[in-house]
Amino acid sequence: MRGGAVADSPTDPSPSPQPSLRARWARRPPPFEFWIGSVLLGTYLMVGLSALVVFRNSLAVLPKNQAWVPPFSPIGPSWAHPFGVMPGFGTDLFRAIWQATPWDLAIVAGILFVDVSLGLLLGATAGFYEGGVVDAVVTFVGDSLGSVPPYLLLIVVFVGLGAGAPGAVGLPAFVLLFGLILWPTMARTVRERARILTHEGFVEASRASGATPRRVLVRHIVPNSLGPVLAQLPIDIAPIFFVLSVLPWFADCQNTYIANPLRPYIVPALPVGSPLPSVSFPEWGFLLGFGTCEGLGFPVGPTYWWMYLFPLLAILGLGFAVAFVCDGIERWRRLER
Amino acid sequence: MSRHPTNAGGVQNPSGSAVPGASATAQRPGDVRPNAVTGPPPGPRGSRGRGVSGFWTYALRRALLIPVQLGFVLLILYSAANLPATFAKGRPGFLEGFSHFLVNNFNGNWGAPSGRLVGFALVGHTWAQVFAAYIPSSIQMGAFALPIAAALAYPVSLLAGWSPRQWLDTPARYLTLLGALLPVVVVGVLVYTALFFPFLNAFQDIPGSGLIPYPLWPGFIAGYPSWIHEYVTSPTGFPLVDALIHHAWLIAEITFVKTVIQASVVAVAYVAVFFRHARSIVRAARDSAHITGARAIGVSERKLLWRYAAKGVTPTFFLIFALTIPQFLGILFAVQIAFNDTDCFGYLLFVNLGNLPVMDALIFLIAIVVLVWTFVVDLIAVRLDPRGAMAR
Repeated sequence: MRGGAVADSPTDPSPSPQPSLRARWARRPPPFEFWIGSVLLGTYLMVGLSALVVFRNSLAVLPKNQAWVPPFSPIGPSWAHPFGVMPGFGTDLFRAIWQATPWDLAIVAGILFVDVSLGLLLGATAGFYEGGVVDAVVTFVGDSLGSVPPYLLLIVVFVGLGAGAPGAVGLPAFVLLFGLILWPTMARTVRERARILTHEGFVEASRASGATPRRVLVRHIVPNSLGPVLAQLPIDIAPIFFVLSVLPWFADCQNTYIANPLRPYIVPALPVGSPLPSVSFPEWGFLLGFGTCEGLGFPVGPTYWWMYLFPLLAILGLGFAVAFVCDGIERWRRLER
Repeated sequence: MSRHPTNAGGVQNPSGSAVPGASATAQRPGDVRPNAVTGPPPGPRGSRGRGVSGFWTYALRRALLIPVQLGFVLLILYSAANLPATFAKGRPGFLEGFSHFLVNNFNGNWGAPSGRLVGFALVGHTWAQVFAAYIPSSIQMGAFALPIAAALAYPVSLLAGWSPRQWLDTPARYLTLLGALLPVVVVGVLVYTALFFPFLNAFQDIPGSGLIPYPLWPGFIAGYPSWIHEYVTSPTGFPLVDALIHHAWLIAEITFVKTVIQASVVAVAYVAVFFRHARSIVRAARDSAHITGARAIGVSERKLLWRYAAKGVTPTFFLIFALTIPQFLGILFAVQIAFNDTDCFGYLLFVNLGNLPVMDALIFLIAIVVLVWTFVVDLIAVRLDPRGAMAR
């Protein structure tokens, strides 16, 4: 990753002594976890793409089969319904999870894009110009925003948005706002790496050879600050699904259930300021939260395990896929040095 | 978290991540400044006079920053929660809207601004009364959760960070990632369901719905004792303490078991957050000069870990805890929601979700607690290891 000082000079046209990515790949292939993560991520992408093709006309709405709606007994996993049936929704869970895949991949990718873009750019700039205005602003904003649990802040924002401008409430706003709430953590970790890199020998050499500060920042500081990003990325997935899975709880499903424990099914409902467009919108986190309410509520016990297990596995699989890829890349980068 | 702008940052770890905010202990390559993580520098330490002076200067700077940060949090709350509504109603001036926000949200009369009155006995009550009813139970649970979390995270982080072998570190890393990815509400409900019947058989009570026994508990058939009123115990408000004061041993036992169960869920979920930061600190300490030197003269690995490295990283662990306290509180509230704890702060948040003024006030309160707590823990960490203050 480190660029050679000679090649960084804007007046020196000589080629970089650094080997190409292909050469490095041939010399030392990425570690095993990278391949596991890549295969997992690739599978998710394929499933998402297939859902786009198969459900292209009804991707945003889960079909409701009245025959599966209460008081019909819940159907567990079988050949006909590999993941069972979610009675409250009246839908096949396999189809629901499949249909939700492109949405969830888009939500996670969108939030992480905003998070990483802002965190990497602002964090690296703050670390490079340590003590400057950008540094002071980034650190102050990060510290202040960090004093509130992120999901509470997000909920307040959405409730406020729902009350003042209901038309703006939706998944795009959710993705943007979540990214804006997450970036300070990323920026702070990147900033520290950039601060240390700024005084490294190869950066000093690059400066001495006449590279402009912007060039040093773009060519050396930003690429070499990717380590903290790779470490933080899998962790930043967790709060996304935490918020989405808690939505049914905020819609009072728990209290509805406890108020009438003999009724083993609940009608799905969206809470105030929910980013999801409708209760029948396919989304893993919402399915998980609802499945937990319905499948694991008092005093039913874990009888209807499929209602929460399969959405949970979908979420965990994505989290681990990203973690494996990130850890693999990071380890590869370390070994390359 | 609440550090001076020019000092905030993090301690770099070998895997490239960093501990946010722990910049006071970070070093540049080749820098020979004393460092809380990597241990004592070569040569004599700095004089006491310099250290004390640095400490108070730092304390003053940090203290002055708190009101500014709180002002910023207020501004964020106003902008995020009220600006859309303000704009939709015809764009009054920003200052006018902000002053309305401050008056309406912080007049101390709960529920009055929105007219929606929820929770227990909130009608016309002041902040102090409401907090006195809802906060002690949360503090009690937090007081149990913290030692449990520390007892879990401290040895695991030390061992995983210290061991150069992948067999311990890799599973520990992915297990904690698993813990982080599992939504804590789901974990809470799983534990609640798993323990429901065993708890019922043992105590004729349910493991949730408040820290004191449920109103249908056989011991309450004749009604609550005089020291419990609408889930709130007296005289202290802390259920366990009050039960002990009134010699209600069975209530104390049930309260204790309920608190430990819920605190354990909080602790396990929080360890996942704590671990990834703490491990990197231990890893940095492992490669420090004085540890390498001690290893070279034949000190055993066990002694190096538990006697030298553990001592060196403890102040930084304090800092990590201070920095991750918002996550800790978030987990605590989520567990209280999962267990339907009607006498806890999480439940107060939960039932007021649509009530923006109350939510704003509660979040502002959380911000005060977090910023003050961070400040205090930061000072303790510096006191424990004055080299940190000198480095500043």
